[in-house]
Amino acid sequence: MKSLRRFLKRVGNLVTRRSQDERLSEEIEGHIALQTDENLRAGLSPVEARRQAMLKFGGVEGMKEEYREARGLHFVESLVQDVRFAIRSLQRTPGLTLFVVITLALGIGMTSATFSMVDGLVFRPYPVPHPGNVVTLVSTTHDNVFDYFSYREYLDIRDKTKSYDGVIASADMEAVGFSAERTATPRIKGGVMVSGNYFQVLGVEPRLGRGFREDEDQVPGRNPVVVLGPDFWKHEFASDPSILGRTIRLNGTEFTVIGVAPDSFPGMLTFGLPDFYVPLAMARVFSTNLQKNFFEDRDDRELNVKARLKPDATLQQARNELARLAQDLEREYPKVNRGRTAAVYTLYETRTREDDNWKFGVVFAILALAVLLVACTNVAGLLLSRARARKREISIRLALGAGRFRLIRLLLTESLILAFLGGLAGVAIGYGVVEWFHSKDTIVFMTELPAAVPFRMDTRILLASLALAALSALLCGLAPALQSTRVDLVTGLKSADADVPGRKRLWGRNVLVVAQVSTSLMLLTASFLMARGFQHSLLEGTGFAKDHLLMVKFDPRLMQYNTPQTQQFYKLLAERMRETPGVRSEALTQNIPLGQDEFYGLAFVPDGFQMPQDRENFNSTMDTVDEGYFQTMGIPILQGRGFLASDTSDAPLVAVVNERFAKHYWPGGDAVGKHIRLDSRTGTPVEIVGVAQTIKYQSTFEKPIDFVYMPLAQHPIARMVLMLRSSGDPLQLVQPVKDVVRTLDANMPMLQTRAYEDFYVNAAVKGPGIAIQLVGTMGTVGLLLAVAGLYGLVAYNVSRRTHEIGIRMALGAGSKDVLRLVMGKGLVLVGMGTAIGLAMGFAVERLMNSVLFNAGGIDILAYIIVVPSMFLVTMLATYVPARRACRIAPTQALRYE
Amino acid sequence: MKQKTDVPQGTLALMVLKTLDVLGPLHGYGVARRIEQISGDLLAVNQGTLYPVLLKLEQEGAIESEWGASENNRRARFYRLTKEGRKQLQVETQDWEQTAAMIGRFFEVKTEDLS
Repeated sequence: MKSLRRFLKRVGNLVTRRSQDERLSEEIEGHIALQTDENLRAGLSPVEARRQAMLKFGGVEGMKEEYREARGLHFVESLVQDVRFAIRSLQRTPGLTLFVVITLALGIGMTSATFSMVDGLVFRPYPVPHPGNVVTLVSTTHDNVFDYFSYREYLDIRDKTKSYDGVIASADMEAVGFSAERTATPRIKGGVMVSGNYFQVLGVEPRLGRGFREDEDQVPGRNPVVVLGPDFWKHEFASDPSILGRTIRLNGTEFTVIGVAPDSFPGMLTFGLPDFYVPLAMARVFSTNLQKNFFEDRDDRELNVKARLKPDATLQQARNELARLAQDLEREYPKVNRGRTAAVYTLYETRTREDDNWKFGVVFAILALAVLLVACTNVAGLLLSRARARKREISIRLALGAGRFRLIRLLLTESLILAFLGGLAGVAIGYGVVEWFHSKDTIVFMTELPAAVPFRMDTRILLASLALAALSALLCGLAPALQSTRVDLVTGLKSADADVPGRKRLWGRNVLVVAQVSTSLMLLTASFLMARGFQHSLLEGTGFAKDHLLMVKFDPRLMQYNTPQTQQFYKLLAERMRETPGVRSEALTQNIPLGQDEFYGLAFVPDGFQMPQDRENFNSTMDTVDEGYFQTMGIPILQGRGFLASDTSDAPLVAVVNERFAKHYWPGGDAVGKHIRLDSRTGTPVEIVGVAQTIKYQSTFEKPIDFVYMPLAQHPIARMVLMLRSSGDPLQLVQPVKDVVRTLDANMPMLQTRAYEDFYVNAAVKGPGIAIQLVGTMGTVGLLLAVAGLYGLVAYNVSRRTHEIGIRMALGAGSKDVLRLVMGKGLVLVGMGTAIGLAMGFAVERLMNSVLFNAGGIDILAYIIVVPSMFLVTMLATYVPARRACRIAPTQALRYE
Repeated sequence: MKQKTDVPQGTLALMVLKTLDVLGPLHGYGVARRIEQISGDLLAVNQGTLYPVLLKLEQEGAIESEWGASENNRRARFYRLTKEGRKQLQVETQDWEQTAAMIGRFFEVKTEDLS
């Protein structure tokens, strides 16, 4: 209580400091006057009386200091002094200050931007109350650590587990044909099917209306209700509050709007921003696997299951419980659940196992931290040289009685201010980078579905940036502060800038040189590698012809077609397109190569293949195509044949595999004529009738992968892409396609109508180009900083030896000897830096190879170019000042300083 | 090296409180004189050390101060004991007496008493 009152008084005193000082002076004056009066009465002379009075009072200044310390928050007061002083001394060297601030800003800006990536991809909590106890339940197999559950499995989990306050399920966001009015042509929007308890379990309160009731998700097809996403409601309905109770049409079915999700809930997806939510029970209206029955088939795994852990349940309990349940399911349904286990993932595990996007963020963050490190060593070097130049000033301060701690604090305050300014500018840079990313949204997501890059500069990132700034202040300020306050006063006062003999002093700067060389070498290697890998994979080509191709996507389910209707539609479409003038050939494919949608997987067993004990089947990626596909895409058939019109649903099942697949399972080269069995050893046999050339399927960076093609006629798929090879400009075929489609169904929407080459350039060139640009920028910034810093450091090191060089030359050393001496030293440092940098470079290369390109192998050229150029820069930095030192006449050099 | 100013802070504060208790409102010089008179030359050299103590006591609320005129009409700041200060003085006097008595007893003990 007492100390609190004293504290408050002290805070108050900070404000009234001036008047308090006056009060004290007055009191002292009064005190001395009274004593003088007394002394006068005792018979002393006036002068002597006052002198005695002052003697008796004691040291006024010391007392005042003590008084001030007792009066206010001494620490804050002296901090204010430090800050004022630091600002003054920084103002005196504006060029240096600006350079340091820019350097730090670049480092901090890069880092905060990449932190926002990592945060958005991995760490940012779900936008729901108590996000920490929301876990993801996944089905796992030998090859897949992140598989979904089927509807039936979801019901089992929901009903048979006890560790959760509710288990929810949601399907992936999918394209849904939306129209507000019956007459309007449907437009594509992103919808998500969710379980009836979705909003309630997540704790999301709709801003308008209500969420789903559980009974609305019980009977398939009974309750066509929809909850709108906040942005969709704003843009599509102008935030009209009377939307509740209105009907909208989704895929041709009328749905009643019952609620609008709040702004705080943009959805649970990392990238997607769902336009609306519908109950799982309405699945028949939406895109589920056509060959399966969503509500009945246990192997129709389309649901992402999440659950809210009970407060008193541990993660381990939940894991054990789910593992037991998975065992029960495996026993009960051996056909579809053999070899299947289940796992419970935390947010972090979910985000890192769902896909590999996060790895990009982490690689970028590591590179950005390297830039920051280079920036910090740069600034540390500068401050170190500056501190040495100020040695005389510091010596005087120490001589006058300043404490070493106080001086270190003063110097650290200076670097803190620098880092704070750098941090502010860095946040601005980071903000710019994030904005730049957002401007690329349309390139990154070549899709009609609502999506956005989840990177943003929020409070979390701002705090992280400030912490980074403080950390860099310590990093670059502490060493110089410690070193410069550890001076021998006598020599310090004698000369402004002299090196005391001894190796210890140089140690710090040598470490800086080595650190800079190695870090920038690593950065350069990384960016060089990335650019080269990219170039390499572009030169390598994709294995198919990209030009003169028009693509149009169709989804007859948007028009409520059943399977025979769908097949009829595609059959007629293909026939009529072939007859259209200007069309050289036509193809239908489920997925386009290098597209946004992932290819489906195919579980199979090669006939007669001895399976390993623990494996039920192998997996491969697959595509469903029609008989014109290989010709239209220009993919050569190396052995056997492509698909024929005779491969109908009544004919024996056939497949075409790619070269890698054929070599993988039949190294003898006799794959044609062999069979694979679907799903398991006893599954349906499919004959391999041809081997196609391996092309790039998912990305231009990929390693060759196994691939299987199935004929459309034997594998009906609803959503297909029409590919047309044109003789002229592919876009001139748009109108003919429209005309043909109108004859088939006037309302059928044509999705993603584009020239394939444009699509390819966006998706495969510009998209990765964003990453290349980012890494390239970091590499360049790192290099520039490193070169500037390195040159400065080495040159400074040499120039400090001018005196010594003078002595050496006076004693008869030739300029060659001196050059050798000075440059030898520099080269040793660069050599060490290069060795460390190479080691780090190899590590980064391995990381990037495993994460980004899969190009494989060591890129020798990167090292051949990068290493000598780093050497060259350092040589130059050593040579120039060394030469200058040689040229100075010994007499002059000796007088230097 | 032993210095006369090595007065424990608490002791000086207690003296100030007692002085103000006995003599009523008093300026800094008066307090210094009084302590000097009673304690001999404890404050003979460093009267100034009194002021930080006065400030601390004021911050704690044990005393309060205001400007006034001294006996020979000089402007001086007068310090007065507050209610709280009186309480503090009581408590600390008791503490001190206990401590002093204890130390006293301790010194009275002679070797033969223990044998």
